[in-house]
Amino acid sequence: MPPFEPILLANIGNADSHTLAGYEAVGGYRALRKALTEMQPVDVIDVVKSSNLRGRGGAGFPTGLKWTFLPKDHPGPIYMCINADESEPGTFNNRILMEEDPHQVIEGIILSCYATRAQTAYIYLRYEYPQSLKRLQQALDECYAKGYLGKGILGSQFSLDIYLHRGAAAYICGEETGLIESLEGKRAWPRIKPPFPAIEGVFHKPTVVNNIETVACVTQIVNRGAEWFKSIGVPSDPNNPRDPGSYGPKLYCLSGHVNKPGCYEAPLGITCRQLIDEYGGGVWKNRKAKAAIPGGISMGLLTEAELDTPLDFAGPGKVGCLGLGTAAVVVLDETVSMVDFLHNSCRFFQHESCGQCTPCREGTAWSLDMLNRIKAGRGRLKDLELLLEIGDSIGIIPGTTICGLADGAAWPIKNAIRKFRAEFEEYIKRTNPKGYAETHAVPALISAGAH
Amino acid sequence: MAVVLIDNREVEIGDSERLNGIQAAERAGVEIPHYCWHAGLSVVASCRMCLVENGQKNKETGQVVMQPKLVPACQTPAKDGAVFITDSDKVRQARAQVEEALLIDHPVDCPICDKAGECRLQDYHFEHGQKERRADIRPFTSRKREMGETVTLFVDRCVMCTRCVRFCREISGSAELMVINRGSHEEIDVLEGFPLDNKLAGNVVDLCPVGALGDRDFLYQQRVWFLKRHASVCSGCSTGCSIWGEENQDRLWRLKPRENPHVNQWWMCDEGRYGFHHVHSDDRQVGPRKRDADGVMANVDWAALPDDLSARLKKAGQLAAVLSPHLTVEEAYMLAHYIRGLDPQAVIALGPVPIEGEDERFPNGFTIRAEKCPNRRGVEEVVRFFGGIMSFTEFLGELDKAQIRGVWVSGGYKTDWLDASQANRFASLEVLVVQDMFVSPLWELATYQLPGGSFAERDGSYVNHADRLQRVSWIIRPPSGAWVEGALFWRLQNRPGLYDSRRILAEVAAEIPYYSVAWGEIPETGVDLKLNQLAAAR
Amino acid sequence: MATERVLTDEMVAAITALFPRYPTRQAVTLPALHIVNAQLRYVPIQAVVEIARLLELAPAQVQDTLSFYGFFKQDEPHGRTRAWVCRSISCALRGGEEVLDHMCHTLGIKPGETTADGRVTLEFAECLGACDFAPCMLAGDTLHKNLTPETADKAIASLP
Repeated sequence: MPPFEPILLANIGNADSHTLAGYEAVGGYRALRKALTEMQPVDVIDVVKSSNLRGRGGAGFPTGLKWTFLPKDHPGPIYMCINADESEPGTFNNRILMEEDPHQVIEGIILSCYATRAQTAYIYLRYEYPQSLKRLQQALDECYAKGYLGKGILGSQFSLDIYLHRGAAAYICGEETGLIESLEGKRAWPRIKPPFPAIEGVFHKPTVVNNIETVACVTQIVNRGAEWFKSIGVPSDPNNPRDPGSYGPKLYCLSGHVNKPGCYEAPLGITCRQLIDEYGGGVWKNRKAKAAIPGGISMGLLTEAELDTPLDFAGPGKVGCLGLGTAAVVVLDETVSMVDFLHNSCRFFQHESCGQCTPCREGTAWSLDMLNRIKAGRGRLKDLELLLEIGDSIGIIPGTTICGLADGAAWPIKNAIRKFRAEFEEYIKRTNPKGYAETHAVPALISAGAH
Repeated sequence: MAVVLIDNREVEIGDSERLNGIQAAERAGVEIPHYCWHAGLSVVASCRMCLVENGQKNKETGQVVMQPKLVPACQTPAKDGAVFITDSDKVRQARAQVEEALLIDHPVDCPICDKAGECRLQDYHFEHGQKERRADIRPFTSRKREMGETVTLFVDRCVMCTRCVRFCREISGSAELMVINRGSHEEIDVLEGFPLDNKLAGNVVDLCPVGALGDRDFLYQQRVWFLKRHASVCSGCSTGCSIWGEENQDRLWRLKPRENPHVNQWWMCDEGRYGFHHVHSDDRQVGPRKRDADGVMANVDWAALPDDLSARLKKAGQLAAVLSPHLTVEEAYMLAHYIRGLDPQAVIALGPVPIEGEDERFPNGFTIRAEKCPNRRGVEEVVRFFGGIMSFTEFLGELDKAQIRGVWVSGGYKTDWLDASQANRFASLEVLVVQDMFVSPLWELATYQLPGGSFAERDGSYVNHADRLQRVSWIIRPPSGAWVEGALFWRLQNRPGLYDSRRILAEVAAEIPYYSVAWGEIPETGVDLKLNQLAAAR
Repeated sequence: MATERVLTDEMVAAITALFPRYPTRQAVTLPALHIVNAQLRYVPIQAVVEIARLLELAPAQVQDTLSFYGFFKQDEPHGRTRAWVCRSISCALRGGEEVLDHMCHTLGIKPGETTADGRVTLEFAECLGACDFAPCMLAGDTLHKNLTPETADKAIASLP
């Protein structure tokens, strides 16, 4: 496969890529000038809509379509929230964009706000990215000084303020309405929908929430056009009018048991195996892959036999994963215990569950309790049944929870146990020969709980 | 008119009604279990107990299309053509799973929990829950934490429905209760130094669907299955909140608000809620007493007293009656008629109207009123009918003219209601009848001391600040030796049989125009007497 | 009982300077907590009360938000450096748990605790977003990459 010429990562590697001068030297803010002088806001919405750009934050919702949900003649204010809370385990592409090419992101924000008539944008930035905070703030300062932000941008009628808002280490703030609640100063409990943010979002006003990589794509789409964007990736299925396709370049994150972990830009649709072998230098230590997470831990697991799955929006779902998610691939080699993997996943979701709705709050805690007990040598085969029942019952897909964190908690459970059942059973029988067949409730493992 | 299907039963929803699935189902006689939803609070749909299947029926084709996923009934509008399925296997399983989830960390200490018998966790487990425990068995913890002076929290019983937190933010506006921590470690708490102390605090105990929040006033006092409840009205102020009085064997144990969309919605204030202990005070006067010829008070028998009173009053000369705003409408009417019967020129006056501070209005409109009695409006209209409104102060002026020789004063106040200087203006009467619960400066001067009833013993009607008449049923019998006003006046008027306040109200409605709409069956939520003006205007 | 004011004039000025950015004062809650935490290295209850007054909120509302994150210490300040060691999947696959265990032993504390000399507070983090350099640790504002128990010791030793 011929190497893909990076677009989103094109400037990374230049020493001054994060400065305004460096950005403008390679054509930066040309798209903004074009939009403000030649395009109306609705034209920007149209080009993004025609490009079929789908959100890069994990849900893959068509961006242009989302923008059209805003009420047409709303007196305002309309808000834009940029989701820089990137917390999905395995994911780090937003970090790289913000640290190394913040202006590409900011130009995308300004274009998106121009399109949606937002006059204030908040970048909700996770606490753990201090370098991104520094680089973004510097870039914003440069923009204000240059007149790319503030009142009457480039002499137009369009005014925009962008503010950085720092999080405090909670994964659920990456959920659209969890972010909104956190921004409003409350606990980040996601809201019930309807109403959707486009109708009633932050401060009860129409709001669009977009991911960092998504807005970077907006910059490139305005620069190069919708047709350019659609020349990359996987076209929509002609037999399915509802399929928006998987267009454009994608920043794939690769980590875990590979020789060259890193962020690699490729057209949407490369397979997991291609990513590992052609970009990642192959599985490390001359080992074989046992499994791979396809798109952040919430998406579940691919077995080694499933590594030829294309990593586009439709691919992982066909082999029982939740979806493409953040396209963050994490490779597990043949020495990894799936029990350890699942324990790590359950521990993560128990820690991050916001606690608002019963199935997720109690289901994630119950799952971890069982994994703790299994790892302590007191597991039962019955536990696998209960784990699968939890996995099948919690989430927005069955309709039992308010947000998708529960689905993210459920999928690793379902995939790990269903795709590696024999390993779980062997582990339980081996470590708890006297008690693995017990079906009645057993005493809890008492461990020092930590928040 | 919208038509909604609940498990294939049709329910009609009016055009101006905005109901959710739970409310529509209720109309069909189906109970959709729920914890976090409450009609008076915001919708959060977080407990997930009310999950149902939802779909839409096409009016033309009759075809029903169901959504593949479950939805919370509390956040699903019951609009025209909506289909709700509440009893499928899918729904039953989801409910059982939620119920099971809530019990994982729950101490299940029903034997020592006040809520047993009126607990949703118990009821739903019995009706909808799993057959046996599948989660690990945990060691017992049931921590107790004081939220304030009136409310206690049993932390581990909480199911995180957040009704209490939302109440403090949305209704009382005081926001003392909060959620702390995240995920399965979440608890309800108050910030140290800022306890729960707003005037509506007790409502959070009503709202709590489980035994987490408890009333310190009621804690460990009675098992709720021994309590019988009776519909009444709070006597604390002129708002006239509808209440339930809950008693066992003539002991009043607690008051709870009764839902009334016209008056108090679902709420009552703490002063009313906890303001009933005077009913069982050791200071309640029991056993009538009469001053003999030497001026010494002696115990007398109730049996002979009515005839003695009538004879003594008739002989006295000009009479007067002071009608307390704690009397029911029926009692005020009977007393006035009785005194006028003895003396057609008798003066009828209103008793002191206790005012404390100012009206206090809460964000949702609920108001605690400064007028601290339940029936000033009602008694006032009786007084007006019998010759024009005369206030207590005006009456004292009348007394000073020294023409009135015999006065019947009804009291029934909870606390001190007049001082010695006011009492002394009654000092030179020929006959002074004081009917009251507690000793007062006036009681000490009485010729006849008649122990009367409290609000909990009265049967009749009150009229609140907004001219709404509501019926109160008697909750308990008076202490032995007290004769409740209504029953005594019935006897004084020589009416046959037992006291029947409905008969009196019908007479009031027939005789006093203000009360004309109160002649028939009075609804549980009362009747707006201003309707008589509409009738008069026609 | 007069309690000493905890928020300095500078903190109050920094907090109020943010008011124009948002249509509600409540939205300044998290930024205010960060401002206080950056100076004091914790947010005691008294600070919560003062922030609430400034933001015209009930104190419980601010505490509710604060406690959700599990981020702000309230009983005593954290160490001069807070060392966050990632325990999520990518770091765990490359030895992150062993690094954290090792650091606990070296420093003699558990995650969440501070060394006796007040130098370092050890914390576990969930996915620091630096999986390309797993296993890693965020100490203050510095990301320490590709850690082994030995390099972790060196990194800790180099902290102020």
